[in-house]
Amino acid sequence: MNKILLIIKREYLTRVRKRTFIISTILFPLLYVGLIVGMSYIATKTNTNLRIAVIDSSGYFDRGRIERENLLDSSSILTLVTDDPGNVRSHLKENGFDGYLVIPAQLNWRAGTDANGILLYTTRTLGIEAISPVKAKLNNIWSSIKNEKLGIDENTRTVLQQSVISIHPQNINDTKADSGMATGIGYTAGFLIYLILLLYGSQVMMGVMEEKTNRIAEVIVSSVRPFQLMLGKIVGIGLVALTQFFLWVAFIFIIYNVTSASGGSTGAMASTIGGVQKLFGSINVSLIIFCFAFYLLAGFFFYASLYAAIGSSVNEDMREAQSLSFPITMLVIISIALMSAAIRDPSGPIAVWGSIIPFSSPIIMMARIPFGVPGTVPWWQLGLSMAVLILGFIFTTWLAGKIYRTGILMYGKKPTWKEMIKWAFRKN
Amino acid sequence: MAPNTPHMPLLELKHLRKFFATQKAVDDISLTIEKGQIFGLLGPNGAGKTTLIRMITGIFYPDEGEIIFDGKKFDPLKDIANIGYMPEERGLYKKMKIGEQTLYLAQLKGLSKADANVKIREWFAKFDMQSWWNKKVEDLSKGMSQKLQFVTTVLHEPKLIILDEPFSGLDPVNTNLIKDEIYQLAKKGATVIFSTHRMEQVEEICDHIALVNKGQKILDGTVKDIKQQFKENLFRVSFSDRILPEHLAIHLFEVKHKSDREITIKVDHGYTNNDVLDYFIHKGLPIESFNEILPSLNEIFIRLVEGTPNARQFQEVKS
Repeated sequence: MNKILLIIKREYLTRVRKRTFIISTILFPLLYVGLIVGMSYIATKTNTNLRIAVIDSSGYFDRGRIERENLLDSSSILTLVTDDPGNVRSHLKENGFDGYLVIPAQLNWRAGTDANGILLYTTRTLGIEAISPVKAKLNNIWSSIKNEKLGIDENTRTVLQQSVISIHPQNINDTKADSGMATGIGYTAGFLIYLILLLYGSQVMMGVMEEKTNRIAEVIVSSVRPFQLMLGKIVGIGLVALTQFFLWVAFIFIIYNVTSASGGSTGAMASTIGGVQKLFGSINVSLIIFCFAFYLLAGFFFYASLYAAIGSSVNEDMREAQSLSFPITMLVIISIALMSAAIRDPSGPIAVWGSIIPFSSPIIMMARIPFGVPGTVPWWQLGLSMAVLILGFIFTTWLAGKIYRTGILMYGKKPTWKEMIKWAFRKN
Repeated sequence: MAPNTPHMPLLELKHLRKFFATQKAVDDISLTIEKGQIFGLLGPNGAGKTTLIRMITGIFYPDEGEIIFDGKKFDPLKDIANIGYMPEERGLYKKMKIGEQTLYLAQLKGLSKADANVKIREWFAKFDMQSWWNKKVEDLSKGMSQKLQFVTTVLHEPKLIILDEPFSGLDPVNTNLIKDEIYQLAKKGATVIFSTHRMEQVEEICDHIALVNKGQKILDGTVKDIKQQFKENLFRVSFSDRILPEHLAIHLFEVKHKSDREITIKVDHGYTNNDVLDYFIHKGLPIESFNEILPSLNEIFIRLVEGTPNARQFQEVKS
């Protein structure tokens, strides 16, 4: 046991002290926040401010209505012009317009435009998103014109618009469940586990190749059992993963607080706090946290051992390692793909089976749990899933140990999965 | 051989067998190695030496047979702490600092951090390696890293030291350094198993040897005994005067090679060294030197494995 601790300590310290670790720990949160800030900045800045000239042959559209719309939404400016289309078209640029449209004289308030609609002539090709504000403005004006013609007064209009029926789901067996919140948490939790498994699974694989690349495998294995070495590496690298993950979350939290404090986006903060309070009310937070920790650890051990087995079998060639590990990576990716189906129907067959089979249970069960235990996830399902996963990682760790034991001493041609399984069942 | 060795062998291998899917790597090998011996384990590549060594170090478990270490059944978990192994495929963590790495390896062998630190400083001082503490292994030359490897192997004062091709790639100076250390360690009571396919090194260093080929033991004995076993009664005699045809008998010996003042003869069966000396004295030839030519281990082994594909390997080494 002592030796495993020695190995864990060495694996952890050598990795955490590396420059690449420090840089990636600081860089990623910066990139992440930078990306979000940058994208929202770009979104606001590149809002095309279209200036469109409107020639109204129908007589419906008056200056007053148009100006009101322009004030409400300044992402586009409509200007009523009284000139013939030919002139407007040839003088677009000098007058500062990006385009023009002609509202046809025969436009009838009962019928609206025909299937083709009104042509919006533009000086450059625009995306659909750019012209939708223009369409919206025109239709807002058109609504008030229709209301006026139909004799619909303010009160009637209010009833028409605001009297709607909305539906909110609630599980009769679990009144606390909140599917909106649950969907969000489910996705986040499942995705986080997916990310960690994928990123650090391959870290384990590369870490295991270290002894072979340095040709020190035999020396170490004459001092400790191969199984101890493998376990030490898996746990050591796992701890590095946890450390980096926590540091990332902490960094993002700090950076976000700093930028929002200086930027003063207190609105966002307030809504997050409000959301968090609601969160605590509607779901069992401690259970979710406990299960997250369990599925993260158990899932990590399950997959890390498989990656370790592969890492020990290949000969220093990353491509060999990647091609051998492809089936494992696929399992993780399939799990995340199934997660959407599971969230859509958390009690359906995909969700239930997916949350029990050990390959997918870390991701899918975590996606289901926020929907309510025992409301959506009966206790027996949770218990079974955990038990199967525990048995699962005990099995994969045992299997990996046998493969590792032979693999790290073998230099030669690239093994197939069949050969690796044979090593596993070779006598000691 | 060290004085005062009690007669309990350090290591007894009894009818060991190890099979792999395609071959019998070790096929019924038994050996006894006494404490304080420098034991040579010889044989061509693929003979089964490495597999045998891996069973002794607990990396492999024998399919059949047993291993007795220091009087008790070999227990890999406990006895590993008393064994130091320098494999042929040797290496160290390239990017780890030397002092830290030596400490790590020593602790894996069971030394406490404090003890390890003391011993490391002693050995580093002995080999003039103090300045290396904070260097990385990748900064060392091959000779330097092998010195370091040797130190990590013997640091924990193991009872049994196994060295597989320890001198490969070393220059003569460092070879001597390590050779001296091997003698020193054996004098202090350590037992050394020295595995190689380079016979010249073996003759110098080892007391006792075993030759394995194709998983089986072919020879087992002291260097002297083995040479006696295979000697061909060859002698080289040199004289202060020129040799003349009438000096050469026919029935006492056969002349293999002759130069002005020196002959190589094969003495016939039944005649002793003294008979030969008497003859030359009688003939009045002043003898300058008289030496028996014992076969080199290399020659013996070639003879033994002659005809097998492995024999060619020895011949290549010799030339």
